[in-house]
Amino acid sequence: MLRVSAKVTETDIDLAGINGSADAAAQGIEFGDLLMSFAEAVASRALDLADCREALLNAAGSDVLVDAAGVAANFQRMVRIADSIGIPVDDMTTELGQRVRDDLDLTRFASAQNTLNLAERH
Amino acid sequence: MSFDYSKLPFAIRPDIAEAYREYWGKLAKPGNWWTGEQRVAIADESRRALDCEFCKVRKEALSPYGSDDGHQHGGILSTAAVDAVHRVVTDQNRITRQWIENNDAGDLQKPAYVELVGIVVAMFSIDEFHRALGLDLETLPTPKAGYISRYTPSVLSEDIGFVPTVAPEGAVGEEADLWEGDLSANVIRALTLVPNALRDWRDLSGAQYLSFVEMKNFIQSENRSIDRKQMELIAGRVSSVNECFY
Repeated sequence: MLRVSAKVTETDIDLAGINGSADAAAQGIEFGDLLMSFAEAVASRALDLADCREALLNAAGSDVLVDAAGVAANFQRMVRIADSIGIPVDDMTTELGQRVRDDLDLTRFASAQNTLNLAERH
Repeated sequence: MSFDYSKLPFAIRPDIAEAYREYWGKLAKPGNWWTGEQRVAIADESRRALDCEFCKVRKEALSPYGSDDGHQHGGILSTAAVDAVHRVVTDQNRITRQWIENNDAGDLQKPAYVELVGIVVAMFSIDEFHRALGLDLETLPTPKAGYISRYTPSVLSEDIGFVPTVAPEGAVGEEADLWEGDLSANVIRALTLVPNALRDWRDLSGAQYLSFVEMKNFIQSENRSIDRKQMELIAGRVSSVNECFY
């Protein structure tokens, strides 16, 4: 979805931000480094969550902080739905999707089997 | 009043508080497969999972399937249900089809499992919103008495995932409201064995993230302070930390 959004808005981004690079997260995305660090702290239950929250609040304001918290919370739910039910990726055939999976090395995750095993059966 | 954010030093969108209050009301009532007391107990258990020493040890184990009865728990739910709640919170990406099939043959049938997952993930996301902002967790609602419905959708498919789901062409009759047009991605279909579980996540997601309609807007939604790229960066980082392939 990040790649699609960047394409629609004709923005150069660096997907390595998804894997935790602050410099990459900042490319083409306002407050990208701070948003990435905040999301990471929420999902990993990091001890520096309060610092990340404060940094985002000071730089971007409370509306951004609240909306960012909402999205992070939402995806804490979404990943658990996907993995608890074992759903496969909707479409493994698109070139864009394959490039994203390659760039981020997503097949290293255990839950990749929910998609790859299904593809093998078909 | 629950979810009263009026005394905070910053504003929280009213639709978020409203969505949370509505969910609290539904959480307390009997569902399709769990009573109100059990549903609130599942919610309570989802909080306990985060501090469970057994979960911490198992998370580091090479295999997560040696034992399932060492959890710290509230004493209301069965061993299988407690274990399911804890796994969904702390070790979700190692859940397997075999484990769900084994539970289905024992104390935790698939429809009950799906409703349980729906409660856990809804609760977890509401609590995570509070933790993310440094807020206290909301007191759980008082359970309401009543009977479970045992409702099952009339048209189910077994083409994806570990449990039956409503396929795009199966959203008819009572399920006709689940999604509009062709918007039926697998993650939307995932909980449809218990349709209200999807309706709950749809309502929460519409407040925390985007409505189904706004998901098609890849630029920026009117009532959001962050654009879609910012949203998807957050979504991607959270998914990556959780090691989610989907």
